[in-house]
Amino acid sequence: MELLTNIGLNHYLTISALLFSFGLFAVMTRKNAIVILMGVELILNAANINFLAFSKFNGGMEGVMFSLFVIVLAAAEAAIALAIVINIYKIFRSVDVSTIDTMKE
Amino acid sequence: MHSLIQLSIAVLLLPLLSFVILIFFNKRLPRSGDFVGVGILGTTFALSFYIFWSVVVQAYDPAFRIVWDFTWIDFGNVPGVGPLEIRMGIVIDNLTAIMLAMVTLISFLVHLYSTGYMSGDPRYGRFFAFLGIFTFSMLGIVLSDNLFSIYIFWELVGLSSYLLIGFYFEKDSAADAQKKAFLANRVGDIGMWLGILILYSQFHTFSYHEIFRNLAAGKFGMGEGWLTAAGILLFMGCVGKSAQFPLHVWLPDAMEGPTPVSALIHAATMVAAGVYFVARIFVLLTADALHVIAFVGAITAFMAATIAITQHDIKRVLAYSTVSQLGYMVLGLGVGAYSAALFHLVTHAFFKACLFLGSGAIIHAMHHEQDMRWMGGLRKPMPWTFATFTLVTLALAGLPLTSGFMSKDAILAGAIGFANAEGGGFYYLIPFLGFFSAMLTAFYMGRQIWLVFFGESRTHLKPADEHDHGHAAHGSHGHGHGDDHHDEASHGVHEVAWNMRAPLVILAALSVFAVYSPDPLDGAKGWFMKMVQTPETVVGSKEAPAKHEPSAAAPAAGHLLAEAVPAAAHGSETDAQPEGVASEAHAETAGGAAHAEKGGHEFSDQRQAHIAHAAHAAHWPAIIISSVMVVLGISLAFVVYVFRIIDPDRTAVAIRPLYLYSFNKWYWDEIYDATFIKGSVAISKILSWFDANVVDGIVNGVGAMTRRVGFATGGFDKYVVDGAVNFTAFLVNTTGAVLRKLQTGKVQTYVVLLMLAVIGYFVYYFAQLVY
Repeated sequence: MELLTNIGLNHYLTISALLFSFGLFAVMTRKNAIVILMGVELILNAANINFLAFSKFNGGMEGVMFSLFVIVLAAAEAAIALAIVINIYKIFRSVDVSTIDTMKE
Repeated sequence: MHSLIQLSIAVLLLPLLSFVILIFFNKRLPRSGDFVGVGILGTTFALSFYIFWSVVVQAYDPAFRIVWDFTWIDFGNVPGVGPLEIRMGIVIDNLTAIMLAMVTLISFLVHLYSTGYMSGDPRYGRFFAFLGIFTFSMLGIVLSDNLFSIYIFWELVGLSSYLLIGFYFEKDSAADAQKKAFLANRVGDIGMWLGILILYSQFHTFSYHEIFRNLAAGKFGMGEGWLTAAGILLFMGCVGKSAQFPLHVWLPDAMEGPTPVSALIHAATMVAAGVYFVARIFVLLTADALHVIAFVGAITAFMAATIAITQHDIKRVLAYSTVSQLGYMVLGLGVGAYSAALFHLVTHAFFKACLFLGSGAIIHAMHHEQDMRWMGGLRKPMPWTFATFTLVTLALAGLPLTSGFMSKDAILAGAIGFANAEGGGFYYLIPFLGFFSAMLTAFYMGRQIWLVFFGESRTHLKPADEHDHGHAAHGSHGHGHGDDHHDEASHGVHEVAWNMRAPLVILAALSVFAVYSPDPLDGAKGWFMKMVQTPETVVGSKEAPAKHEPSAAAPAAGHLLAEAVPAAAHGSETDAQPEGVASEAHAETAGGAAHAEKGGHEFSDQRQAHIAHAAHAAHWPAIIISSVMVVLGISLAFVVYVFRIIDPDRTAVAIRPLYLYSFNKWYWDEIYDATFIKGSVAISKILSWFDANVVDGIVNGVGAMTRRVGFATGGFDKYVVDGAVNFTAFLVNTTGAVLRKLQTGKVQTYVVLLMLAVIGYFVYYFAQLVY
């Protein structure tokens, strides 16, 4: 239990930063659009952890509220993004973002 | 408005109506509308005669004068000029009334005569239209009460004379003559206009009356020299219109017009206009201006008379005779014989119109033969023409019992009086030239009568080539007699029809002394000289004439006058006292002399009074000398042409230089050709050269320079402006090419860049925190 009680704010933030970095790495390096979306979800959840951590150590409810908003937002974002991905697939027959560069020039 | 004014407006406008109707509708009217012209002119004459009767016969007042005027154009206050208002108006006095009756009568008779003379002409109707506008213009001159309107009508007379002289414009000679007349008149008119402007600049009015009133009040601010100049410049208008030396050259050439036109222009209207105008402005002429006028008149009279004696063309003799007689009138005005000059104007108008119409009848009967050498023997076939022509010839020569005798005599008496009064030997040149010209007049008219009417017909003597020439001229007249004209010319001479004969008879009747004066030897007793009296000068003479002839009574009177009233030098306001003195002086010194009775009034100006007395004194000498001269002239004509004691041809050979000098009209045409015409051509050539080389050179230089500048600008445009534009485009293009590389189109690139930017911001932020 001592271990649990010794968990401080820095631990949360470290986890959150790691999660964010993984998400960012996924967004920057993966070619599959679905995987990129997953990376985005990781980033959002890293933010959620931050909100909740600050909320817990500050004692307010604002962080909880914000993380709830973010979850809702993430759901909506996922719906729209998947719709976009489907449309991209319909047009290009691929979800590989490295090949989709028709906006160049 | 006075009823006479209303009538005079009708008189003025009726001939214009005739012109308007005929110029537009002559082709649609029967007989080309000649009845319109004749009818309207007849009405005009009737109205004019009514005015004449009311003014001259019923009123019988030398001072009769009615004026009516209105504002024609009001320019308001013109900058640099002052108030400028042009008034038009009509003045009727005795002179106007007489001139109206004379002009309309002669114009009417010329219209009537033209129905015969011009019949068959292709432009018959147009001829009457031109006669109408001519009469209108002349009546305008007669009725004008100011210098501006007289100038307008003056130019209208110039225009209508141009139209009439060049009526047969197919002939080159007629076209040349009309141009010559127009240009010669223009020279005079410019002078006249300058004279008007001098007066206008001083008084800001054109009205005669206003100008004279201001002059009499001594308001002329430019000095006597300018007034003399104004008088001489105004006289230049007369020199042009009345064909005075040195602008006389147009009148003889104007004989190219139809003969009725010659009668109208050269007897009654145009040439009379000049003399009439000088009479209108007579009172503002200074003594110096009058001297110039007198000498111009004398030279003209003498020169034209010497030319007339050698001319062959019947109309040319009359033309030079006209110039000569106009010289008399101008001479008369110049010497101060005002009423005599105007008297001569009227009598000359009648007898010269008759002479021209008579010569027209002869030319008509001779089928357009004008050369007197091939005439002769016309006395029998043309008795009416012969009788009237002879009568008026005597009037022109100045034989007693004719009108011409009285008027010419009055002028010559005035000339002697003038020379006496001026007292210089030099001034005797004027009466001398006058008397000598009187003799020449008698001689050349005697010659003409003899050549035309007496002896045998000389038609067959005419050389064949000249005949052809005459025929060609005739053909161009458009009378269309055809080829049988040779035979007609020799046999078919007959008296002209009544409509050409009646004017001759009427005009001849008006050349008898009884019309003008009960005493055939003294025109001063007649109504004319009583009604038209010398007006008082408004400029005055500064000093009395230098010397006086001790023998003449009149100058002495003038001398007394000069002593008695030195203050009366100018201004008519000092009337009563000086007149009394003058009358006394005159009665005293004149004593029981024949001229004791006074015809006219006395003058307050001593010079005028002086001359008037002297002229009066010279009445009998003038009559005697001029009669002797006339008899001499006629006898000489008889000696040469009737008795053939002196053979004219051999005489001509004997005095060949003189003969040629006269025959070639003193070489005036040649002199003008060599000086003014050649000079104008030379100046034109110089100007043409200047134009071609300097002006064109400047223009071309400017053109070439513009072209150069254009090339330079073009280069600048091409390399600098276009270069800047192209460089901008190039720069944008290059920048774009570089920046384009950043836009890969790949989403992940942008995410990376975004990431880098955020990291960069954090680095910047923390760096700031650290330092």
